[in-house]
Amino acid sequence: MTSTTVRARRPRHTATTRHNWIGAAFAVPALALFGAFAIYPMARVFYISFFDYDLTSAPRFVGWHNYRYLFGSETFQASLTATAFYVVFTYAPAVVLALVLAAGLDTRLPGSGFIRLLYFAPVAMSWVAVSIIWRLILQPDGLLNAVFGTHVNWLTSDSSAKWALVVVSIWKETGLFVILFLAGLQRIPDELREAAALDGAGRVATFRYVILPLLRPVTAVVCVMAIIRGCQSFSAQVVLTGGSFNTEVINLYVYKTAFESARMGRASAVAVLLFFGLLMVTMLQLRLFRSRER
Amino acid sequence: MTRHLAERVSADLAAPPPVVEAPTDGARPAPRRARRPVGRALVLYGLLLPGGLVFASVFVYAVVSALKPPDEVLASPMRWWPSHVLWSNFAKPFEQVPFGRYYLNSVVVGVAVTLLNVVTCTLAGYSFSKFAYRGRSLLFLIVLATMMIPLEVIYVPLYALVYDLKWVNTFAGLIVPAGTSAFGILLMRQSIDGLPDEILDAARLDGAGELRILWRIVAPMMGAPISALALIVFMATWDSHLWPLLVGSDDQHRTLPVGLAAMQADNAGTTGVPMLVAAAVMALLPTLILFVLLQRRFVHGMTMTADVK
Repeated sequence: MTSTTVRARRPRHTATTRHNWIGAAFAVPALALFGAFAIYPMARVFYISFFDYDLTSAPRFVGWHNYRYLFGSETFQASLTATAFYVVFTYAPAVVLALVLAAGLDTRLPGSGFIRLLYFAPVAMSWVAVSIIWRLILQPDGLLNAVFGTHVNWLTSDSSAKWALVVVSIWKETGLFVILFLAGLQRIPDELREAAALDGAGRVATFRYVILPLLRPVTAVVCVMAIIRGCQSFSAQVVLTGGSFNTEVINLYVYKTAFESARMGRASAVAVLLFFGLLMVTMLQLRLFRSRER
Repeated sequence: MTRHLAERVSADLAAPPPVVEAPTDGARPAPRRARRPVGRALVLYGLLLPGGLVFASVFVYAVVSALKPPDEVLASPMRWWPSHVLWSNFAKPFEQVPFGRYYLNSVVVGVAVTLLNVVTCTLAGYSFSKFAYRGRSLLFLIVLATMMIPLEVIYVPLYALVYDLKWVNTFAGLIVPAGTSAFGILLMRQSIDGLPDEILDAARLDGAGELRILWRIVAPMMGAPISALALIVFMATWDSHLWPLLVGSDDQHRTLPVGLAAMQADNAGTTGVPMLVAAAVMALLPTLILFVLLQRRFVHGMTMTADVK
């Protein structure tokens, strides 16, 4: 694996100037697509957030009104609460579970490849298809209630719908983090584990004081990824609850605001807040993980 | 373009470098942890195997449900097995809704987006890796920065743009905006970096053009990263729901996620449930099979871009 630094990286270039300009042209298709479909919309989202805009008539400048509206809107605040609940209760358990599973699965015993696959499989299934299957499992007469002998209306009550989404998402997402943790674990040389064992460290102590610190870069990536993925959640809510019963997460709120109420400006204001929220969370987490390394 | 799964891995632009040098595939000493294999085996077969079977039971239950007659799928108390197996549930989506069309659309969009990504990312990765020109570092930095812009943040103005281009309910609208990815460029640049410049210089001395070098020398040696990129992009596109819902919601352009969600919304009673679940099972099979076959490629692509600092 090549580790990269963006600046100060000067490979030996023996190509002539003319060659180099041809090389520069190779980046043009990608850069053009980025410019049109990522950077331009990113600039526009800030701009539109100051307008009242319904796509068909001319945008009307409203200043900070969209933002003021959001801070006073109970629906918006409910969507923040729903998102926070979903992210915390899905991804904290999923990441911890994934770490434990990865530690157990980091072996070459016969059959371990197959067992890994059982946990990885949900990663490869599309969210909508998975949600349709879980919708059946979560019915009052469905598999979940039958197995546990309960009578919970998983999808149609304020108290349980959000937990239903958590259950589905833990099942769907854990495998992805297992893959990342497992790759991280496999890069730690056995000599370190053996050295710890020679020093008399038990299995748990080795994991806690040798493996876990070495895994920190992977853990940082996984945690950032978990929060970003959590905030992007959409399909499961659409299929399982349609956003009812306290499950209208922020992304669904943006969708409904923009495309059901035709308030593009207000939806853009939410997107801007989401962008800064994600940026802050990412920076904060990276700082946290880095400072602890010393 | 910013929605690919793995881009979120690499959102971490400032992660500390990997502590340990990564060995190449298979370079790891084969007998791992021969110390206390009994404890390992106990954990693996006693805990992780049953747990994995619980995970997989969801899929098994889906297949069994898809084979049930409609009145048995939500019978109270629950029926574990169908009284008779109804294979016709798997044919019904094709007869009652344009499911074949949705499937075809998903394949067309998936393949087109994947090809576009392979071409644009390989070109850009090669450019950022092997050429020196003014502004290269800055441009690459901009590409990396777009990883901080998920689709969820920009889709409102992106939709407005596609609307102005008259691309709503067209394949162009479904495909072109997803035509490149920062993750892919990063992956390709990382991989091409490992290629010795001498090979390229030798080809130049022989008078080969730059495109020819890329096509004849670089691309054939980049089989592993290119297939990883293709797999990850295809899987993400197959799963993509929000964007196709916005720009391809009519019957001619619905992809599987959009079509399935619509089938689910239209289907209020229980009569259509086995058919719906059969459709869901058929929809998830292609990426599941690809993943099972190419798992190592997927892991390679994901981890390669996750350690960038």
